[in-house]
Amino acid sequence: MNQAEVQERVVKILTPWVKNEAALKSVSAETNILDDLKVNSARLVDVVIAFEDEFDIEIEDEDVDSVNTVGDAVGLISSKLG
Amino acid sequence: MDGADAAMSRLVRKHRVQRTLAWLMAPFWVPLAALVLRLGFGYRIAEHAAVRAEFRRIRSDSSAPLLICANHLTLIDSFVIAWALAPAWTYAIHFDSMPWNTPEETNFANTLRNRLLVYLAKCIPIKRGGTREDVAEVLARVGYLLGRGEIALLFPEGGRSRTGRISEEKLAWGVGRIVAALAGCRVLCVYMRGDQQATWSEYPARGDVMRVSLACIEPKSDARGVRRTRDLVEQIIGELGRMEVEHFSRHPGLPPRAAEPAAMVETGGGVHGGQ
Repeated sequence: MNQAEVQERVVKILTPWVKNEAALKSVSAETNILDDLKVNSARLVDVVIAFEDEFDIEIEDEDVDSVNTVGDAVGLISSKLG
Repeated sequence: MDGADAAMSRLVRKHRVQRTLAWLMAPFWVPLAALVLRLGFGYRIAEHAAVRAEFRRIRSDSSAPLLICANHLTLIDSFVIAWALAPAWTYAIHFDSMPWNTPEETNFANTLRNRLLVYLAKCIPIKRGGTREDVAEVLARVGYLLGRGEIALLFPEGGRSRTGRISEEKLAWGVGRIVAALAGCRVLCVYMRGDQQATWSEYPARGDVMRVSLACIEPKSDARGVRRTRDLVEQIIGELGRMEVEHFSRHPGLPPRAAEPAAMVETGGGVHGGQ
């Protein structure tokens, strides 16, 4: 699976939690999940578990520490997919 | 020394300095804080001797890490809880039994003076919705201090409950992460509510009587990764929910009910560690 496909699926997973829908239209790898998309930080655990289910991977707590942007999420998932 | 070791070394240094300064100042501000709560605000702790005896028993029962998790209705809950759990002189003698707190930075550490005050009052401010790295640093610090026998107080609801009842809306999954990282970690669930406390507020009503109940649990989970973290924090919030039901069944006439109890353990947790 290439990075573009992973990003497309990541954005699809994020969509239900996004409060700033306008930012979704111009989403890129640099888009910050909390600051730009306004995803509630308390809901990130649900997002991460949705990533695990969608890509059949396991994500550790520490992995999440480096995820701030959509690109970070894509990078993390891609690294787990090998 | 690699990056992780260097970061840990910085964290340990930072902790030692803050703990020492807070310890030096404690004889001044701890009794003063207790006096302000008792005489200034006129608060009382119902059956305080029993509450304090129970806290002593729980502390002496085991040397395993002890994390306090409480419901959250007012801005000064952490001070009132610390006062309820032990008299000021106890904290002067057993300084490590006084809980560390992680107040929300914008509420308590928004000016230089406030930052200094919370620094000396055993607080590690956290920015709600801050970067993952910032949150991780605070969680690591809390994990470190618990591991060395100190006590911390966190609010797993992730903020003051806007329903006035145990709420999972902003669940702080960082709490589960701390518990997961510490073998045998015990969680002292504290349910505290003033008799006049119908819902959330900045402060309890003047002269209010606080009713405090304690339950010590050891959350366990066979799940892995973030699922384990969520599972653990849900067990804690579930226990607090049970205590809330018990509180209202024991005191049916207290206070006007602002909302029905929240449904328990159906929704997920939050990634943030802030309060």
